[in-house]
Amino acid sequence: MTSDANHIRVGRWIVPIFLAAFVAQIWLADRLENWVHPVPFTASRSGTLDPKIVSSLRAAALLTGYKVLIGHAFWIEVIQYYADWDNAVDHFSKLYDYCRLASDLNPEFIPVYTYGAAALAYQLHRLDEAVKLLQKGILANPKENRLKLMLAAIEYHYQADYKTEIPFLEYQISQGNAPTMLINILANTYMKVGRDQDAIRLWQHILATTNSDSQKYEAAQKLKVLYQQIAAGDKTKRSSK
Amino acid sequence: MNKVFSVARFAFRELIRSKMLYIWMVSAVVFCGIAFLLSILSFGEVHKIFLDLGLVGMEFSGLLVLILSVAVTYNTEFDQKAIYLQLAKPVTRGEYLLGRVFGFFAVVALVVIGMGLFIAGLVLFVGRGSVDLLFVDSGLFMLMEMFVLTTLCLSFQMIGTSMVGVVLYSLFVIFLGHCIGQVEWLLNQQIADYVKTILRIVRFLLPNLEVFNLKDRIYDPNLVLGWSQWSEALLYAFAYSFIVFLIGWINLEKRQFE
Repeated sequence: MTSDANHIRVGRWIVPIFLAAFVAQIWLADRLENWVHPVPFTASRSGTLDPKIVSSLRAAALLTGYKVLIGHAFWIEVIQYYADWDNAVDHFSKLYDYCRLASDLNPEFIPVYTYGAAALAYQLHRLDEAVKLLQKGILANPKENRLKLMLAAIEYHYQADYKTEIPFLEYQISQGNAPTMLINILANTYMKVGRDQDAIRLWQHILATTNSDSQKYEAAQKLKVLYQQIAAGDKTKRSSK
Repeated sequence: MNKVFSVARFAFRELIRSKMLYIWMVSAVVFCGIAFLLSILSFGEVHKIFLDLGLVGMEFSGLLVLILSVAVTYNTEFDQKAIYLQLAKPVTRGEYLLGRVFGFFAVVALVVIGMGLFIAGLVLFVGRGSVDLLFVDSGLFMLMEMFVLTTLCLSFQMIGTSMVGVVLYSLFVIFLGHCIGQVEWLLNQQIADYVKTILRIVRFLLPNLEVFNLKDRIYDPNLVLGWSQWSEALLYAFAYSFIVFLIGWINLEKRQFE
């Protein structure tokens, strides 16, 4: 009898509390939804990639709650694609679409835009695609200055406007905390205009400061080329004397 | 409340003795190995990539321990009738369920926090990198998610009639709970009204696990994480767990043990 009375007493409280909690969770879920998903989902077109693979990857990323994991895994796939010399036959024709998909999966991961655009612009000479990739990155990350700087640097570089490009990059780098990619661009530009000593200084700086093995390797290679050029130049001078 | 903590202590010891932590140790090694491999294969911000993948590992191992614990204890409690012993003591069924929620959550939290410390330790002392505050925030949000899921899985244990059913319900809810953002997106599209009504009901019934999924927003430059977001996420976790707990309790009260 006492147990029944307890049940009835508890039952009176439970129903309103249950309803209040249910309404509270709906209200909170609605409010938090706007916080979690402030921007509606928009995906790029699949381009030259197989649409089935693209949609499967997007579905896996969006539905499982492991967008960053799948984004990183796909970014490794992009690196493998660019590192495979078999793909050089068609000049890495899928690189832009790969980078675009990697940025769909992980839109806030900046290396996708910086490395992707650098490869497209400076190594494959596909300015339009590099610019489009950087513009996508800037739209997704409006506060990210690295992307804006890189876009400006690429534009100057393609106009062969080294007189504007060099002081622009020098100023940005002198502000401190400049990304290695920007220093790399300036060092390459110095080499183009024949300022070998300045280029050597920057490559040495990259070699001493970067944590990336690939950047260290590139800097060492460039230094080797520059030292060989200087040595060859000295020999020519001596022989002409 | 003492009775609740006694049940919680009992559930915690039961899970530790069932060698559940071995799963954590294996998963810690496996996930850290995968995270390390992927981060060295990748290009740019290696420490960040390792931490991101570590967060995924933390969640995976927490979920793995939770699902396996629920499956193993369903077998001992309901099939082997160990629940008789506990309910024969002066403990109400509500206290029993609440105690088990706390006990299970303590084990899952131990796994998630342990894994987090392990990963942060590797980055700080082996990789000589730094750990962002967002990593800690993501871990704490993950704990909130684990609390909701622990309540949910144990309530399914009270409702379900077989171990397979309980595991399947739990897995489906975990999967669907992450789809709420897409349900929201679908609601803004041109679709039939009856589909929209069904989707709205689904949206209000399922837990919105994306709320706690801070690990997918770790790079988001537009992320605002202040007191308002913390308090609302905490309240949401509490409100949802409370409803689910009540449903589980009512089902346990109605359940006949013969």
